[in-house]
Amino acid sequence: MRCFCTGERQTSKHSWRGLPTCHVCRFRSLESYATVKLCTLLACVAFAGPIVADEVTPQDFDRHIAPLIAQRCLTCHSGSEPKGKFDLSSRTTAMAGGESGVAIKPGSPEESLFWENIDSDQMPPKKPLSAAEKAHFKTWIEGGAHWGTEKIDPFRYSTDARAGSDWWSLQPLRNPQPPTTTRPGWTSNPIDAFVDSKLQAAGLAPSNEADKRTLIRRLSFDLLGLPPTPEEINKFLTDTSDVAYENLVDRVLASPHYGERWARHWLDVVRFGESNGFEYDQPRNHAWPYRNWVIDALNQDMPYDEFVRMQLAGDILQPNNFDAITATGFLVAGPHNTTLPANDKMRMSMAQDEIEDLVGIVGQTFLGLTANCARCHDHKFDPISQKEYYQLAATLTGVTHGERSVQVELSAEHQQRVVDIESELSKIRTARDAIEQAARSQILAERKDGTAALPEPPIAMTTWEFEGDLRDSVGSLTATAHGSARIEDGCLVLDGKDAWVGTQPFPVDLQEKTLEAWVQLDSLDQSGGGAISVQTLDGATFDAIVFGEREPRKWMAGSNGFVRTMPFNGTEEVDARDRAVHFAIVYHKDGSITGYRNGTLYGKSYRSGDLHTFAAEKFQVIFGLRHSPVGGNRMLAGRIQRAQLYNRALTADEVAASAGVADRNYVSSAQMLARLSPEQRAHFDTLITNIATLQTEKDALTGSQLQKLYACVSNNPGITRVLNRGDVGSPAEEVSPAGLGAVTGGSTDFGLAPNASDADRRLQLAAWVTHPDNPLFARVMLNRLWQYHFGQGMVTTPSDFGFNGGQPSHPDLLDWLAQAFRSGGYRLKPIHRLMVTSATYRQSSAPNAAAAQIDADNRLLWRKTPQRLEAEEIRDAVLVSTGQLNSAIGGVGYRDVRHFEFKGSNFYESVNETGPEALRRTIYRFSPRGGRNPFLDTFDCPDPSVTTPRRAATTTPLQALALMNNALVFTLADNFADRLQREAGETTATQVKLVYLVAYGREADQQEVQLASRFVDAHGLASFCRVILNSNEFLYVQ
Amino acid sequence: MASLLMSHRNSRADAVPGEARGFPHHDPKAKRVIHLCLCGGVSHIDSFDYKPELAAFHGKSLQAEERPATFFNQIGLIRKNDWEFKQRGESGLWVSDLFPHLAEVADELTVIRSMVAESANHTPATFEENSGFRLNGFPVMGSWISYGLGCETDELPSYVVLPDARGLPAGGTINWSNGFLPAQHQGVAFQTKGPAIHDLFPARELSDTHERASRDLLTRINQSHLETVGSEDALRARMRSYELAAKMQLAVPMVTELNQETAATRAMYGLDDEATADFGSRCLLTRRLLEKGVRFVQLFSGGSFGSPRINWDGHEDVKENHTREAARLDQPVAALLRDLRQRGMLDDTLVLCTTEFGRTPFTQSALDQIGAGRDHNMYGFSIWMAGAGLKHGLAYGATDEIGWKAVEKPVHWYDYHATVLHLLGIDHERLTYYHNGIQRRLTNVHGEVLHDILT
Repeated sequence: MRCFCTGERQTSKHSWRGLPTCHVCRFRSLESYATVKLCTLLACVAFAGPIVADEVTPQDFDRHIAPLIAQRCLTCHSGSEPKGKFDLSSRTTAMAGGESGVAIKPGSPEESLFWENIDSDQMPPKKPLSAAEKAHFKTWIEGGAHWGTEKIDPFRYSTDARAGSDWWSLQPLRNPQPPTTTRPGWTSNPIDAFVDSKLQAAGLAPSNEADKRTLIRRLSFDLLGLPPTPEEINKFLTDTSDVAYENLVDRVLASPHYGERWARHWLDVVRFGESNGFEYDQPRNHAWPYRNWVIDALNQDMPYDEFVRMQLAGDILQPNNFDAITATGFLVAGPHNTTLPANDKMRMSMAQDEIEDLVGIVGQTFLGLTANCARCHDHKFDPISQKEYYQLAATLTGVTHGERSVQVELSAEHQQRVVDIESELSKIRTARDAIEQAARSQILAERKDGTAALPEPPIAMTTWEFEGDLRDSVGSLTATAHGSARIEDGCLVLDGKDAWVGTQPFPVDLQEKTLEAWVQLDSLDQSGGGAISVQTLDGATFDAIVFGEREPRKWMAGSNGFVRTMPFNGTEEVDARDRAVHFAIVYHKDGSITGYRNGTLYGKSYRSGDLHTFAAEKFQVIFGLRHSPVGGNRMLAGRIQRAQLYNRALTADEVAASAGVADRNYVSSAQMLARLSPEQRAHFDTLITNIATLQTEKDALTGSQLQKLYACVSNNPGITRVLNRGDVGSPAEEVSPAGLGAVTGGSTDFGLAPNASDADRRLQLAAWVTHPDNPLFARVMLNRLWQYHFGQGMVTTPSDFGFNGGQPSHPDLLDWLAQAFRSGGYRLKPIHRLMVTSATYRQSSAPNAAAAQIDADNRLLWRKTPQRLEAEEIRDAVLVSTGQLNSAIGGVGYRDVRHFEFKGSNFYESVNETGPEALRRTIYRFSPRGGRNPFLDTFDCPDPSVTTPRRAATTTPLQALALMNNALVFTLADNFADRLQREAGETTATQVKLVYLVAYGREADQQEVQLASRFVDAHGLASFCRVILNSNEFLYVQ
Repeated sequence: MASLLMSHRNSRADAVPGEARGFPHHDPKAKRVIHLCLCGGVSHIDSFDYKPELAAFHGKSLQAEERPATFFNQIGLIRKNDWEFKQRGESGLWVSDLFPHLAEVADELTVIRSMVAESANHTPATFEENSGFRLNGFPVMGSWISYGLGCETDELPSYVVLPDARGLPAGGTINWSNGFLPAQHQGVAFQTKGPAIHDLFPARELSDTHERASRDLLTRINQSHLETVGSEDALRARMRSYELAAKMQLAVPMVTELNQETAATRAMYGLDDEATADFGSRCLLTRRLLEKGVRFVQLFSGGSFGSPRINWDGHEDVKENHTREAARLDQPVAALLRDLRQRGMLDDTLVLCTTEFGRTPFTQSALDQIGAGRDHNMYGFSIWMAGAGLKHGLAYGATDEIGWKAVEKPVHWYDYHATVLHLLGIDHERLTYYHNGIQRRLTNVHGEVLHDILT
C-alpha cells in the first residue's frame, strides 16, 4: 500500500496501529472507512475501563467480545475447514473445542487452552493481542464465558486481512457538503471545492487554466475520441463570451460521435468480442447490434439504471422489442467454448467455468465486486460466502449463447403499406382465380362429354399414393416412417423437424430418371427441405426435389455438394401453401436436368456434367429429408399427396400428362393457359406479374422484420447446488437464486424457489443490482466516468471496490458525485458536463517538479495529467486529419481480417483495409478473439477475451514500427497531402501551416514553417505528413 | 499495485530488464527459455512412459471401478505401446523408438511422467498448459517471464513465437496473449512470409537518405515539443522507442538469416530434408534468437484440429499420426540440444517440451475392439525439460501400471510453472500483477517447486 501523495510504501496494508501519519495527505485518514470504524470500536473497548467479571452479560459479549473474535480469530477459525478444527464462530463449536480438546473452560482461564495461547502470544500468530484485548478475554472467561448471539458473522467486521460488511464501499452513500474555498475560479463547481481542499491540505496548489486551443483539443478527444476541426477551433477561439467553454461542452456532448467514444470504454469493460474464442473460434456475425445499441443508448443519454436493466434482462422486460433483446448481448459478450466433450462431467465442468466468468463480469462491472472469487471457498478478502456465489450464479445459469432471429417492429408507414398490399393482392388473386376457374370449368365440362382428350399418363417405376400406408403401389418396397411422419387424408405429413420416410434399398441400378411429387408446403419461407430424394444409403450422394435452399421460394434439383445443382431460374412459388403443386425433375442421359412445375417447364433446363448412376442395393428413396442425416435445414414441412419415380427421362408432354392425372379434376396450367383467348391471356399475365411485384415488395418489408442477433437465449436454468471446492463431482446443498448479503439496498432474498424460471431470476437480479439504495451501483459507475476524464479513478481499481481494490483519493467527492448522479436520474451527460466544466479539469498539464515531489501520480490533481491517445483514437485521428474518415454511425462495421476455416477452426488473417467501409471509426472494427489487429494491439488495444476496466499506456519500439511503416499510414499520408493541396494550394508554407492546424490544432511558428518547408521541398509533402502523424504532439493530449 | 502504477506511468520504452522491479528473487539458474509446445496430446505410453505391463493387458478391457472420462466417451480395449522402449545413454532413461534422435541425447532430459491436467478438451487444456487457467484472456508463461525479467536486448522482442508452417494452433493469437499484462509482453509471432515482424519495414520503398531525413525531422519536432510542454518521461520514452525501432530493423533480418550458418549446422538441424526443414529452421532460428538475448522463444509443433490431422491428435491411428509428427521434430530438437550444449548455452538455457495432455492406454473404439487410435488422457502424461539447473537423465513421478493415471508424485501445471519460474530466479508467489481484485499469478493460488528434479 502506498501513501497517496508521496508514494511511500507502507509496510502493512491496513495496519492501524503505529502507522506513521503522512504529513502531507494524512494517509491514515484516507486509509479507509473501515479502519476509522475499527479504531473507534477498539478505542471503545480499550477505554471503557476494565469490565468486571460478573458484569459480562450476553449483551457485553456481543458488544465487546464478539467483535474481537470476529476481527482477530475468525479468519482462520471459521468456515468449512477451520484451523485446528476449532471453530470460534458459534457458541456450540467454540465450547466444543478443536483437535486439542476443549479450549474454553468457563470461569477458569488457567485451564483454558484458548487463554493459554492468547496469553503466550501464540495466537493470533502474526500479530498478538494488546494487553487490553487480552484482559477482555480473560475477564470474559472468568465471568463464565457467557455467549451472546449464537452465531458470530465472520463477515461482520473488516480485519487487517479482509473486508467485512463494514467495508467503506459497502456503506450507504453519505451526504458530504462541499468544503468552502476562496480560490478564484474554484468556487462555483463543487468538484473544485473538494479537490482544492485536498490540495491545500497537502500543501499543493492547482495549476493555471490551460489555453483555449489545449482545452478544445482535450475536450474533443475526451468526449468524442476525435480531434477538433480547424473550423471548430476557430469558432471557439472567436467566441469571447464568458460561457464560450460551456457552450462548447454542450455542442460536443450533443455530437453523435460521443456515443462512439464512450461505447468503446464500455466494450472494454464487458470484453465484447465477435467470435467464440477457444478451439473453434467461430465468428459471431450478428453480435454487432449490441455495439450499436451501446452507442445509441449513450447518445440518447439513457439513464444508467435503465441501461443496466436492459443488459441484464431486456429480453424479459420487453420481449417484443428488438433493442431490448440486443442489450442482452452483454450477457454473451465473452468467450464461449463450443467444443463439447462427450463426457458429461467434463461438459458440466466447462459450464461451471463459463458461469464463473459470467458471475465475474456481472459482479465487477456493476458492483465492483469480484464475486467470482468465491466459487471454491468463501471469498478470501471480501464478505462473500461460497453459498452466496452459487446463489448469484443461479440468477445467471439460464443465460445461454446463441443467435436469435428477432422480429423488428415495422414503422407505422410500412405496416400500413403491408395492409394495403394484402388487400390489393386479395383483389388481384380473385380476378386471377375467376379467369382460371372459367377455363377449368370449361375443360372439365368438355372432359365429361368426351370432347377434351384426357392425356395418357406415363407408367412409373414406383408410385406412392400414401393412401392409408407407406406402400408403393407398383413395386413392393417397404418404407419406414421416422420421427413424427404420418399418413393423414391420403397425404404424407411432414413436420420439418424430424419426420421423414425412407424405403429399403432398390434392387436395380438407376441411371436416367424422373422424380415427381405433389407437394403442399406449410410455409413458403422454409429453406432446404427435400420432397423426394434418391440417395445412397449413407446420404453422401443424392438427387432431390428441394425447396428454397439456395434461393428463397424457388425449387431446385438438390445434389451432394451442389455438383448437379444450378438455378432453374423459375418463378418464385406463391401457391404451394394454399394447394398442392406438382413438381417434377427429369435427369437426362446427357446430364441435362429439367424442372417442371404443374406440368409446365420451370425456368430453364441446364447441363450439369455427368449423370450419376445409383447402383442396385446401394440406394433408397426418401421423403421429407433432402439427404441423411436427419436435421439441419434438410427437413421439409408440408404434405406430400403422391410421388413417383421413373427409371427414364420423361418428355415434356409426359410430365404434363402426369401432372394432369393426379386428380381427374386436375387441370394443368398448360392446359388452362391454352384455353385462354389472346386478350384473356394478356390480362392473365398482367395479373400474375402484379402479384409477383406486390408479393416481392411485401416480402421485402416483412422479411426485414426478422434480423439475426447474437444475444442471450433464455433457457431452463435447472437447479443450482453449492459445489464443494468448486468441483462438479461434489455437489452439496441446493440454493435459491439470490443476491449478495454484503450489498445493501434491495433485499438479497429474491423470494424465488430453486427451480424458478430464468425470467424471474434475471428480473430480480436486475432489480437488485439497480436498486436505488445500492451504494456500489452509483459509486462504481461514477468512478469509471471520473477515470476516463482524469486518467485515473478516485478508486484506481475501477472494477474492484473490495479489500484488494484501491482506496478513494477523494471519498467525500466520490459520494457527493454519486449522490448527484443518482438524484439526477442516473443520466451521464450532466455528470460529464459537471466534470469537464470544473476548474480541476481545465487545469494546464504543465509539469511541476515541486508538486511531483509530493504527489508523483497526481492523485490529488494538481494538474491535468497528459494522456497518450488510445489505439482507436490514433487510427481515428489519422483518418480525420487526412480527410479520409467515413463518419457514418452504426451499421455492420468493417473487417480488416480475412476469415477462413481450416480443419474445423476459424482463423482471421490481417488484411489491408480498402474501400470506404474500411475508413470508418475503429469502434466499428469486427473484433474476433483470434484475429486481433497488430497495429491496434501494439497501442494497448485490449484482448477482447478479458475485461479491461483500465487500459495500460505502454511505449514500445513495435509501436514506432507500426506507425512509421504500416501500409495504411502511407496511404493516409498521401491522402493528407492531397487534402492540403486541395485546401491550401501549392505554396509549401501554407500547406505546412494547415498541417499544424489540422494535426495539432494550433498555428505553426516561423521556425517550424521553415524547418518543415525545407523537408517538404526535398522529400515531398506526403513524407512530411507521415512524420507529423508519428510526432508526440499528435499522439498526446495535454 | 506497485506494478500497476509503474506500468501506467509508462515511462519505459523498452523492457530491459524486467518491468516488475525486484527480480530475480534469487540466483537464477536459467536466463532464457525455449518452449516446444506439442499440440494435440502426445501419447506418453508410446514415448517416455514405459509400461511393460501394457503388453500383458493388450486386448483386455480396463478393470476400473469408475468409467474413464474421455473426450469421445468410447472406451475400447487396452492396446500395448506401438514403439519399442529401450534404456538410453548412461542414465538408462527409458525412451521409445518414436524419438530415435532424442533418445541419443536422453542424458540431457529430465522427464516428468506424472503430469495431471484439469481438462481433456484441447483448448482449455492448452490454455492451462500455457497460462495456468482454462479460459481465454490470461497471460501466458512467455508473457509473465517477459514481464518479470524483460529482455536482454533492446533490439528484439522479449517473447517470440514461431508457429508451425502448416498453420497456427487453434485460437491463433489467443495462444500468446499478454492477457491483462501490458502490451509489450504479448508474444510476437514471426511471420513465415515476408519480414519476420509485422511492419518491420516501410510498406513502401524509401531511400536511406529519405528515411534518415524523416527520422531526423521527427526528432527535431519532438525535441521542440518537449521544450514547449516541459520535461515528461513519457515523451522522452517515445522518442527513444524510435531509436530502438531502428535498431530492430537491423537486428531482425540479421538474426533470421539462416544462411549465415555452416552447411554442417544446417544439415544437423535437418534443413536439407523436407520432413524436418520446417521445425529444423525454427530450432536453428531459436538458437540465434537466444544468442541475441531474446528471453523466451516458443515453438509450436502442430496446428489446429480436424482432419486430416496436422498435429499430435491421434484419435484415428496413433502409429500413423505420431510417426509423421515425430519425424518432423525429432532430429531438429536433438540437434538443438547438442548445439546448445556444445556452445555452452545449455548451462543457462531451459528447454521445455510439453503437450496439453497424454493419450489413453485403451483405444478409442468399440468396447470389444482394439482400435488404432487413442483418446485424450488428462489423468497422467509426460513432459520433459532440459538444461539449466536440472538433474539430467532423470524420470520423475509415475503413472499406474498401464499409464492411465499419475499415482506417484503427481505434478500439476502450476507445479511445473512454479519450477520454471524458480529456475529463472523467480518466486512464483511474488511474480504478480493486480487485476480485478486479485494479485494475479501464473500459478493462481497453487504451485510447489519440484525441488527433487533440481540440482
